Amino acid sequence: MSYVNLKSFTALVLVLLLTPNIATAKGDDFNSVVKMIEQFYGVKHVGIPFLANAGMKVARTAARIKGGEARRIAEAGSIKLAVFENQDFDGELAKFRSTLNTALNQTWSPLIQTVSATDGEQVYIFLREAGEKFNVLVITIAQRDATVVQVTLSPKNLALLLKDPEGTGKAITEEATINDQE
Amino acid sequence: MKTHFQTRLALVALMLIAVSAVVTRAQDTRLQLSSLDHLAAKASQSVDVAVDERLMRLASKVFSDQDVEEREIKKLVAGIKGIYVKSFEFENEGQYTAADMETIRTQLRGPGWTRLVNVTSKKEGNLEVYLLMNGELVGGLAVVSSDVRELTVVNIVGPVDLEKLAKLEGQFGVPDLGIEPAKPKAKNEDEK
Repeated sequence: MSYVNLKSFTALVLVLLLTPNIATAKGDDFNSVVKMIEQFYGVKHVGIPFLANAGMKVARTAARIKGGEARRIAEAGSIKLAVFENQDFDGELAKFRSTLNTALNQTWSPLIQTVSATDGEQVYIFLREAGEKFNVLVITIAQRDATVVQVTLSPKNLALLLKDPEGTGKAITEEATINDQE
Repeated sequence: MKTHFQTRLALVALMLIAVSAVVTRAQDTRLQLSSLDHLAAKASQSVDVAVDERLMRLASKVFSDQDVEEREIKKLVAGIKGIYVKSFEFENEGQYTAADMETIRTQLRGPGWTRLVNVTSKKEGNLEVYLLMNGELVGGLAVVSSDVRELTVVNIVGPVDLEKLAKLEGQFGVPDLGIEPAKPKAKNEDEK
């Protein structure tokens, strides 16, 4: 093998070795979770522009978020939101939970996971460090609707979440999806 | 030179063994609760809380020393390496079995675990509280609260006592267990 060929081969090997890492680094867990829900339940999330046209509550709130209005819990402008509406979320709870945990366990810590068979609601809260701040991922799946919310929290608001994971997780989702000006 | 190298190698090996022994011991204080996961499918409500060592370290950083309540919590969780809760509520009786309970109790019969007998709960049902002693020090605590339609297991890893546990109820996902350490009898009460 000539020197040039060896160099090309080495470069190719390096590219091949690094490609998955680049993909992971660029990969967005928020989008992965949204896609995972779509695949697992055979549903589609509704884009924010569509919701805005439909004049729905969620869109108004999302618009306000994008406008940078001060938030109570999440850091301004940090909210990522995906909404699934009027679709069936029929699937094996344990399997979904296991798939979700496997997908996120490299970079996120599961904080609290609640499942209510009575009303078919599942809530999953994951946490990870983001420099001086913290990312929180709240996944709420009901019988006909679901939301995936990712926010950045200040250390002060992380303290709130740790003190009351269930209540603060609910408040984060409400903050992202309910127009409190009504 | 070879002898010196071998000595260094032996020292490194010894250190590794010592570290792994400490790690194993730390891991041992955490109960394996995943055997209960299948109950979530039968439960009307299930809660799974995992505040691991990394989150506990974060907690000690984010709670403010300026705020009285947060300062208190910070003191409370100091040294605690993890809080793990699995709780299930069932519509009907008999949804969990003696075998499910046994997977937990087997671990609690392991070395170091002692069942505390003088603990009661304001709530109905059975309450078992266990302490893990590492010599003179408390290395962990476990609570198994069971009723015909409810099963809750709480495992706190690290130095914790009943007073701390009572204060942690309602925080960090620890459910309200209504734990009341038995009050010592007054002297003249015994004399009666």
